[in-house]
Amino acid sequence: MAHAHISGNFPPDIDPTKAPLAFGRRQQALMTLCDLVHDPENVYQVIEVGFLDNLKTLLLHHDSTVRQKTTQILYVMAMHNVGRQGLIQNGVISAITDLLDDPVDICRKNIHQIFEIMAKLPEGAVGILHAGLIPLLVFKLKTESDEIQELILDTLSNCLHVEASEALATSAITILKEKLTHSSAAIRSKAAWVLSEISTHPEGKSVVCEETIPVLVSLLEDTDPEVQASATGALMFATVKPAGKRALGAEAIPPLLKLVAEETSKARLSAIKTLTMLAELPEGRKTLLDHTDTFQQCLNDPCEAVKRAAKIAISVIKWKPF
Amino acid sequence: MLPTRQLEVAAAPAVLYSYCSRPHALPARPKYRAPPDAAEPEKEPLRYANLMYDRRVVRGNTYSLQVKPVITQPNPLEIQRQREARERALARKRAKEQMQPRTPEPVEGREHIHVQTELYLEEISDRTVEVDTECQTDAFLDRPPTPLFIPAKTGKDVATQIEEGELFDFDVEVKPILEVLIGKTVEQALLEVMEEEELAQLWAHQRAYAELRNAELAEVQRLEEQDRRYREEKERRKRQHMQMLQKQKETTEKIAARAFAQRYLADLIPSVFNNLRDSGFFYDPIERDIETEFLPWLMTEVEETLEKKVLGRTVLDSLIRTVVEKRLDAFSHKPLSDETEAPAEELRPADAAHQADSETDAADQLVAEKEGSDQPVADEHPSRHVSFQLEESDQAGTGDLETE
Repeated sequence: MAHAHISGNFPPDIDPTKAPLAFGRRQQALMTLCDLVHDPENVYQVIEVGFLDNLKTLLLHHDSTVRQKTTQILYVMAMHNVGRQGLIQNGVISAITDLLDDPVDICRKNIHQIFEIMAKLPEGAVGILHAGLIPLLVFKLKTESDEIQELILDTLSNCLHVEASEALATSAITILKEKLTHSSAAIRSKAAWVLSEISTHPEGKSVVCEETIPVLVSLLEDTDPEVQASATGALMFATVKPAGKRALGAEAIPPLLKLVAEETSKARLSAIKTLTMLAELPEGRKTLLDHTDTFQQCLNDPCEAVKRAAKIAISVIKWKPF
Repeated sequence: MLPTRQLEVAAAPAVLYSYCSRPHALPARPKYRAPPDAAEPEKEPLRYANLMYDRRVVRGNTYSLQVKPVITQPNPLEIQRQREARERALARKRAKEQMQPRTPEPVEGREHIHVQTELYLEEISDRTVEVDTECQTDAFLDRPPTPLFIPAKTGKDVATQIEEGELFDFDVEVKPILEVLIGKTVEQALLEVMEEEELAQLWAHQRAYAELRNAELAEVQRLEEQDRRYREEKERRKRQHMQMLQKQKETTEKIAARAFAQRYLADLIPSVFNNLRDSGFFYDPIERDIETEFLPWLMTEVEETLEKKVLGRTVLDSLIRTVVEKRLDAFSHKPLSDETEAPAEELRPADAAHQADSETDAADQLVAEKEGSDQPVADEHPSRHVSFQLEESDQAGTGDLETE
């Protein structure tokens, strides 16, 4: 029984009667395990002992509290590197996939949190991609609550970081386009981030160019700096191709210049890069020749990358064909 | 004998002896039962009773008291024996009863009655007087509380008073406990919060790195794009240049060809005209007319005339020949006619030679006379030759005739 197994792992000074008796012995043990797992050494122990298989079976328990606690334990374990490695090696990702349709909110939220953290690790992202979860997650975007949507968007952006072609197969871009006009700023910024990851892929660029550029340009003037930063990032990649450059048009230049001029904006680097892309076109060069002093200011930025980007921008703007 | 047996006995216990129950000192039986309100027995120190006062130990000599050992599982033999013994005892008792002297039976019409002869009559009834008396052992006593041990008073009486708050100050005492409690809770909470903070920092770091990476990636893609554009442009320009060079080459060739052709054909017209003029395309129509029509007609007429002459001459020749042959025949009868014919034959070749020389002189003269037109002259030459030859031959012939 699980209880007998766990009690072998307890340090001797823990009183197993901590939780009220009404929870039942198993849940009580899970609660205690959940508290203990915050310590990385215990995480290591849990994985060494091979307890993950038991946890996997517990995932399918009929009692929602048990499931909830199990998912919470897995989430806390995933926050440590040892835990993450153990989770990947034991194939917990596929086991969790079934719980995506769980009726209890908290379970689903924990599951998505686990996915989000796993996706931040390259092997985790690869594991999620192999499990074919991207279409499922994209589908879930439509139905889930806001919090969970944020988590899904984070997961997607990290997975697409590794391999962007999966999202093109689904109709992810249409869904993301809706999210760009969501009321919550966090969702907007994360959706824009996912779009920027998609547009690193050459095919993604063309799809993004066709559909979403006007919305992204309007997001440039959003109140939230995060949203501005993500939107600028997405535009940066979308304008690499000449089609994107032309689609952007001249009306995007003033907001981008404003973003560059602000000293503390996060979007500064991306805005400089986007303007560099636009300066490849002759019309863009003409317009930007008047604004080179903004870029000169950027040369004094403490961040090395911004200085470099500003130098490149100035050289591209001043480039003449002969 | 004995020593060997002893040795055997000594050798026997090689197998380790094992107890059914290890020998241990027995703890004393508690006098009082355990108090009912304790959940679990408190661990009092085990009291070992004195063996001498233990009621479970057999007292007295052990050799006379033959207590049968308790047999929990009597074997069937024993059971049978016991049963037999019981039956025998019963039989014996029955027999004994039979043997007992009893009072004789009462005589007819009499009855024996039991009579009490004691001093005090006793009421005898079937029902024995029963009095229910209950008795029981004393209920298990709860252990009486230990009496206060008040030792005899010795020494001096000294009084001391402990004021409120001197021994135990709640605030002071509770502080370490509280500290531990709150400390542990706060520690756990801090751990969790630090975890989250650490993670948040890590993610922020990662995000910043991701931004940098994205910027670099965008730069790379832009440069790739730029490179592609430049390459395509270069290709296009190269192709254009190649085409231009090709066209230039063609043009120079064309120009050269044109120049050459021009030069080549520069004196085409003069030479053509010269040739034409030489070949007589520009002709004076009257001259031409004379040449084409008049002169051929003249020539044909002349030819006809000459032919007639020739014909006449050949006829004449044949006549002469026949005449000469006849004469020869006539003269052959004479041998002198041979010698005259031989010189006549010699004369003819010599005349022919003379004629040839004179003909050439005449031809030269003719060429010197006529200038310009070759062909008609050339045409006339052979006819002139012929005519002169004929004339000469005529002359020679006539000369011959004249000589003859």
